[in-house]
Amino acid sequence: MLTTAAHTWQRYGLGRWAFLVLVLLLLLYPVPYLLDNDSDFVNPSRLLSFTQMFMLITLASNWNLTGGFTGYVDFGHAVFFGLGAYGTGVLMNKLAWSFWPAMLVGALVAVAFALLIGFPTLRLKGPYFSIAMLGTFVAMREVIRVAAPLTGGGQGLTLPPYLNRPLFYYLTLALALIVILLIRFIRSTEFGASLVAIREDEVGAEMRGVNTTLHKITAFWIAAFFTGLVGGMWAYQNTFIDPDVVFFDSRTVELVMMTMLGGLGTVAGPVIGAATIYWLRDVLWANLLQYHLIAQGALLIIIVLFLPEGILGTLGDRSATSLGRLWRKWFRRDAQEAGT
Amino acid sequence: MDQFLQALINGIMLGGFYSVMVLGFSVIWGVMGVINLAHGEFVMVGAYITWVLNKQYGWEPFTALVVVMPSMFILGYILQKILINQLVERPHLISLLVTFGLGIIMSNTVKLIYEATPRIAETAFSGFWRVGGVTFPITKTYILVAALIIMIGLYLFLQYTRMGKSIRAAAQNKEAARMVGIEIGQVYALTFGICIALTGTAGMLVSPTQAIFPFMGPPLTLKAFAITAMSGLGSIPGALMGGMVLGLVEVFIGTYVPNIGTNLGIISSFIILVVVLITRPQGLFGGLKPATEVA
Repeated sequence: MLTTAAHTWQRYGLGRWAFLVLVLLLLLYPVPYLLDNDSDFVNPSRLLSFTQMFMLITLASNWNLTGGFTGYVDFGHAVFFGLGAYGTGVLMNKLAWSFWPAMLVGALVAVAFALLIGFPTLRLKGPYFSIAMLGTFVAMREVIRVAAPLTGGGQGLTLPPYLNRPLFYYLTLALALIVILLIRFIRSTEFGASLVAIREDEVGAEMRGVNTTLHKITAFWIAAFFTGLVGGMWAYQNTFIDPDVVFFDSRTVELVMMTMLGGLGTVAGPVIGAATIYWLRDVLWANLLQYHLIAQGALLIIIVLFLPEGILGTLGDRSATSLGRLWRKWFRRDAQEAGT
Repeated sequence: MDQFLQALINGIMLGGFYSVMVLGFSVIWGVMGVINLAHGEFVMVGAYITWVLNKQYGWEPFTALVVVMPSMFILGYILQKILINQLVERPHLISLLVTFGLGIIMSNTVKLIYEATPRIAETAFSGFWRVGGVTFPITKTYILVAALIIMIGLYLFLQYTRMGKSIRAAAQNKEAARMVGIEIGQVYALTFGICIALTGTAGMLVSPTQAIFPFMGPPLTLKAFAITAMSGLGSIPGALMGGMVLGLVEVFIGTYVPNIGTNLGIISSFIILVVVLITRPQGLFGGLKPATEVA
């Protein structure tokens, strides 16, 4: 039944995976009301947990736009998260702005920085881009620490507390949906195809008339914008920001790990990866306590070495890894006979 | 004038540590094409071995060398055989992520065992020599001398021994090296072991002068990258010069910029990194391979 419905959706241009994700998120929609037995009281920690998952889905999807589609692996993407959080925080704390305009301006700060840093760094290839962005990320953390009069330095900033958790739940859910649909849309346009062409063969794409610089920078600032928005939301929800919390070392790598687990350069990959890692962390790592960061490092290595195509790629028809071939051999007889 | 001379001396001494720290990173990258993002963590492990020997058994930090070098060599050799060997010749994203994961595992394991409290090894050579208005911290002077000896030793090893020649051959042309009977796998494992041993030694050198803590690694990795970007892959004179430049820049900014100077000094290496990469992607002296060849 689901498949027929999916085909119907596909005919209207949304695609199978976007449809599945949509269904998944819609199914989760009423969950906060089901979690607690007292009907008029929602379990707050569960709600917070879902909120964070939606944030991670949004972040990973946006990382995937430059890292997955365009092939520019950004090791400092969290710098935009941090700028969004600090933009929002400074405006609310120092200038007493209200949340909505502050969040928007915070995201625009991230966009401005993306344009500033993107022009020089996106000219770099391969590992040089990754490391330049990693350097940018670490430098930005120190700059925020030094600019104490504005940002509170190492002491951090406190935002006016606002503990409306359902609001953040719906806000992050809505943002996740918008971002997934937008990226699904981007993938179906010529712009999206150009991004993939840049990943596959940048010189070739350029020769065929793709304005590579413009495309790369556009993908970069779009990703920065939504990442900045999430940063602003996170700051307001957390009510306290300091350089070490916001510019957390392994935040970007967490996003990379999620995207790779789901499938690099696919629309649904980051969503599946983020949800999987999130539940792993919730269910499994809660029992590991102080070992959980070690487990995270080990998981990263295992994913990268044994599942480089991600869940979607391995299950797909064109998987080149032994795991993917095994899967085809055992469960996808039809695909093998078709000679794919 | 005294302030200037003092800053110059401090910069050179810091530079000596940086240049010995960067050697392992730059040689591994040059020979195997693997960018080791766990580099700073290996420095940290070397420093912690020294600290434990110093704290629990009362060893002088410099004598810890006899333990640090062999144990780090074995660690590096084994890691290369079981993990890093999988990364050679695969896309850079893979090696970056795996070594990053390795770094996370290492720093958090050390944190689990020895807490996150900053530590410092105690040494008997903690005084100063005064020459005119300038002071030479004795420990740092010895570190500089040790750094120079290590660099000359590595240079002689790579230049004149059979093993060193095989390593250079493997770095220049792997296929040709294989054809003349060099066992590439063995060469890689030994290279990684030697480089990790040197990196651990850098950790040993720094342990009496700077606070060490489990998460000291990532900034050191980035500094190693910044120096390598300036100096080129696997070049020992380049490493010396790049390390000196970084050390001097950090110290001079720290000395002459009021208030925020110390923090600005920390940032300077990242700014150097980004600026050098942007303006001279082939390395300041053309030592880095063109990106297309590397990627």
